[in-house]
Amino acid sequence: MQLVINGLVIGSIIAITAIGLSMIYKTLNFVNFAHGDFVAFAAYIALFANASFGMNLASAFLIAILATIVLGVLVEKVVWRPMRRKNASRTTLIIISIGLALVLRNTLIFIWGGSTRNYDIPVRRGFEFFGATITLNQVLVIIAAFILVFALHCLLSRTKIGKSMRALSDNIDLARISGIDVDRVILWTWVIGVGLAAAGGVLYGLVTAIRPDMGWYLLLPMFAAVILGGIGNPYGTIAGGIIIGLSQELSTAIIPTEYKFAVSFVVMTLVLLLKPEGIFGGAK
Amino acid sequence: MIEYVDTLLPYITTILLISSIYAIFSLGLNLEWGFTGLINFGHVAFLAIGAYTTVMFNMSGFPLFLSVIAGIVLSGFFGLLLGIPTLRLREDYLAIVTIGFSEVLRFILLNEQWLTRGPFGIHGFERPLQDVIPYQHYNTFLLIVYLVILAIIYLSLERLVRSPWGRVLKSIREDEAVPSALGKNVFWYRLQSLMIGSAIAGLAGAMLAFYIMYIEPNTFKPIETFHAWIIIILGGTASNKGTIVGALVFYTFLSVTQFTNRFLPFTAHQMGAFRMIVIGLLLMLLMMYKPEGIFGKKEELALSD
Repeated sequence: MQLVINGLVIGSIIAITAIGLSMIYKTLNFVNFAHGDFVAFAAYIALFANASFGMNLASAFLIAILATIVLGVLVEKVVWRPMRRKNASRTTLIIISIGLALVLRNTLIFIWGGSTRNYDIPVRRGFEFFGATITLNQVLVIIAAFILVFALHCLLSRTKIGKSMRALSDNIDLARISGIDVDRVILWTWVIGVGLAAAGGVLYGLVTAIRPDMGWYLLLPMFAAVILGGIGNPYGTIAGGIIIGLSQELSTAIIPTEYKFAVSFVVMTLVLLLKPEGIFGGAK
Repeated sequence: MIEYVDTLLPYITTILLISSIYAIFSLGLNLEWGFTGLINFGHVAFLAIGAYTTVMFNMSGFPLFLSVIAGIVLSGFFGLLLGIPTLRLREDYLAIVTIGFSEVLRFILLNEQWLTRGPFGIHGFERPLQDVIPYQHYNTFLLIVYLVILAIIYLSLERLVRSPWGRVLKSIREDEAVPSALGKNVFWYRLQSLMIGSAIAGLAGAMLAFYIMYIEPNTFKPIETFHAWIIIILGGTASNKGTIVGALVFYTFLSVTQFTNRFLPFTAHQMGAFRMIVIGLLLMLLMMYKPEGIFGKKEELALSD
């Protein structure tokens, strides 16, 4: 039971962070290897606002998301949009994203050092729940993830921008000739994708230590969730994230904890071998 | 003056040794990426497999030469294993799976202490001809041997990429529909390229172990892979000559900047991060504004979809 709860918590973090990765993967047609570092960036901004300025966690949460979105939009304008204009290929963009990941992660190390940190919040005792201990932070993560997923669902299915985003990720040329302002929608895709990554990062900081490479180690589980759920399929990605989170935690019952990380790799490779379009459908 | 030469010469030898090892490592990746268009982000895994296999085989009683061969073969074999699930799919799956593989491998090296001594690493293993060559001349000896190996690898790769086989690789990189219409098995050619590139990285791993005399899992972090990427892109993708020059330029830069914190108000730890920021920016700027590098030709770029 304890493992299931831990798995659900980490799974919901993987799920909300991976949605952005999946949407950008499909819409802009490249894997953003810097996505995990946006996650870590948000956690550090929240830490900075919370520990250095004594803000409460809710305001730190909002500031971190805003700052990360600003960064994401900045990178879109300075890097990705000019590269799209040049018709840069997928591989060019992937390599640039690696460079960006190095820059972001090492900027965090440069400013805040490489050691682990925690938010300045009171530590509360967990409560018993069917024989397992669940902490308030864990409850908070699950509730926040639910709210975010619900908000995303409303956005994608009800609003014009959400529908344009889905149209774009379906077929960018078709979207363009049907009069959708592609650049604007792509900008919104970044805002939502990076914003969700940031939210995930702040929440992740609640249940784990904050380190510059926390995003890097989340990257592989995120990829696994994206591939499992089918690239560009947000609902599949959510399910994929939960499945990866659960299987990582449940695996510790049979294999050493150190190999948690390897579970997502094995799952991912198996999916690629057997059903490369993902178990919930998506791009091949 | 004499003293100056005495300290400078070993320093230059060190840079040349490190550059020649990583030039060979990068030449392997250049075959995969530059000539075939494969995005391998886990190249360092094969460096690790080569180093660990060579050392562990030798320590369990195999002759040194056979151990190096085992390292090369095993690296190539793992290249095959990784290629099978990924090379039929879109090019970016290989990137994701290889980077995952290199990290999982590092975890295994860290945690399976009975096999690899984990974080303590392995040292005190045999080096080639260590009883014959006097210790103070050993690095010079190693450098001569390594330059010969580098020359052999370079010349064989140059022959290989100019052969009909190499032309098929390049055509796959440009547009895989053409070679497959001509009846070439694209998957098999890609797999061969990945295997050969990985085997070359395995050889570089054995060479690295003999030079640094101590191997531990964190010698093989993902950043080493990206060093090789920068070397290739700097020198010019699909140029073997450029890769060698790129390695020399890059490791000279890395080694010289170790002294720059005397001029900058950074702690050693900040200096390390600062160096990585420069490297990351360099990679981004090169890809954005000069993707053909110093020696590359624009038309040789595998950057079309």
